[in-house]
Amino acid sequence: MLSYIIRRLLFLPLVLFGITVLIFALVSTLGPWTRVATFVPSPDAERHVNLEAMIKKYHLDDPPLKMYLRWLNNLFHGNLGWSQSSHMTVAEAIGHRFPATLELTLFAVLPVIVIGIILGVISAVHHNDPIDHSTRIFAIVLWSLPDFVLGLAVLMVGFGVLGWFPPGRLSSWAHLEVIKASFRAFTGMYTVDALLNGRLDIFWDALRHIIAPVITLSCLWWAFMLRVTRSSMLDVLNQDYVRTARAKGLAEPVVIKKHALRNALIPVTTVAGNMLLGLMGGVVIVETVFNYPGLGLLTSTAATRLDVPCVVGVALFYAVILVVVNLAVDILYSVIDPRVRLE
Amino acid sequence: MEIIRRLLKNRISLFGLVLLVFFIFVALAAPWLAPPKEGADPYRIPRRGWRLEPTPPSREYPLGLTQGQYDIYYGLVWGTRTAFKVGIIVITFRALIGIILGSISAYYGGLLDEILMRFTDIFMSFPYLIGVVVFVAIFGPGLNNVIIPLICLGWMPYARMIRGNILAIKQEEYVLAARAIGVSDFKIITRHILPNAIFPVLIQASMQIGSIVITVSGLSFLGLGAPEGYADWGQMLSFARNWMLGEQGNVLKYWFTVVYPGLTMVLFVLAWNLIGDAFRDIMDPRIQA
Repeated sequence: MLSYIIRRLLFLPLVLFGITVLIFALVSTLGPWTRVATFVPSPDAERHVNLEAMIKKYHLDDPPLKMYLRWLNNLFHGNLGWSQSSHMTVAEAIGHRFPATLELTLFAVLPVIVIGIILGVISAVHHNDPIDHSTRIFAIVLWSLPDFVLGLAVLMVGFGVLGWFPPGRLSSWAHLEVIKASFRAFTGMYTVDALLNGRLDIFWDALRHIIAPVITLSCLWWAFMLRVTRSSMLDVLNQDYVRTARAKGLAEPVVIKKHALRNALIPVTTVAGNMLLGLMGGVVIVETVFNYPGLGLLTSTAATRLDVPCVVGVALFYAVILVVVNLAVDILYSVIDPRVRLE
Repeated sequence: MEIIRRLLKNRISLFGLVLLVFFIFVALAAPWLAPPKEGADPYRIPRRGWRLEPTPPSREYPLGLTQGQYDIYYGLVWGTRTAFKVGIIVITFRALIGIILGSISAYYGGLLDEILMRFTDIFMSFPYLIGVVVFVAIFGPGLNNVIIPLICLGWMPYARMIRGNILAIKQEEYVLAARAIGVSDFKIITRHILPNAIFPVLIQASMQIGSIVITVSGLSFLGLGAPEGYADWGQMLSFARNWMLGEQGNVLKYWFTVVYPGLTMVLFVLAWNLIGDAFRDIMDPRIQA
């Protein structure tokens, strides 16, 4: 177990090494100004003043290996270059936007796990009933809604027709409140901060803004979670120990909750890992549709304006999070299921 | 044959098949369904005027004209071709890379296997939509610049799958026999091993066409894929973004700019998912009732 964790931890720098080399190679094919912005975290990169002087000042004419090592060193110090589309350093931009995306992701993950599992269990228990068929069709339809189509539909109906779910992250009055000195920012997640500050009105406003993107983002994963729970539950329900439990006269709810579900949930943990991966991709589109200022919107805006340093910075940031989360899921897996030996 | 018979027997997957056949028909018959102007690039959606505001459906243009007077009907019909083209190209190359790397890895084993699989892990530990966005930011928007990273960042599951299948049959007697009589490695892999390991991978790969098309459309929607005016579903939907809230008092005024392209995409994915779902049940012996 411990040796497995250590091996995975050693693998982490390898992954990051691979990704950085790849990105560095790609960036080297770019024009001089984009390259300057990638390596120089200051507004100088934006004022196209004196290329020669900049190259001299930041030693950008060094041989590639030296450049790569210096860039890597910079990355370790959180120095990711200058973002021309958001007029600040990439590290600052990510710092500003990350809490918004984290908030969105957290709001998306919990309902998925709860609703998905419940529906999956219901579907499996009623195997081949009308209930099973209808949840199944429901799942396939949910699964087939592309996030940007669904997002536009939710926006059109939820905001356009009903006026319930406005786009953005806060209404303008709430935004003015939030930037006041009296409003203390604990986490950067507005719903949490509003509660901690005891401002229910701001909480309500933030909630209204976040619901539509959360629904859009997580729809697909409800379906996925449902399917995985259903098939793993079906698998478990056919096992001998479940038959034994029934044979010794246990009540059906006890059999399902205590004997079957616990084992059926094991594959579900892997889905949770995949889900995070999927959500990270999903936020790019969903945040853009709802104009929700998180990392996803940052990425798509930066990409359409060809702001390479920003996109690269976000990608590296994601890569680190992802490797760590994958590791956590694997370890969790072995904790839940003692049969899994990590070697 | 058995598989097709079972697909036809199940009403849900039959519906999927019918939808898919319809889309294939539209793609093949595009030149007759929406004849392009003589000499013009058929993938460029014709503009029926220069006004920005969308025009509602009329007898002449049954699905209406979206922002910039691009013909929605024409765009959807030719977009079907784009969809299949993109899907098939991406799938073919992904499967090819996956099969080559996977079979080398499984057949030779040892250090080579270890290196190739760690390489696969590195590629797998990256959210691929972000990878595509990085690529596009560096090389500029365009359909090709979306397709290339989608291939490069999507072959890993197939490599793993084919590796697993080959590991299972590598020690079969007919493989050992072939090796014993001195058949070359290349021939053993292509003639004896792959035909017995490739089928599930091909099915899995083709079932991904739906989701690939949607990913590409999503990128076009963000403005990172197909250029303006190119017949691509996602791109058509991105026209709708400025108009979906209608105007004061008539919110749904421009509904057709969202509904038609949106519905097309939903049905396309639905078709693939319905068939894919039925396949999964057919291939999984445990669920057989």
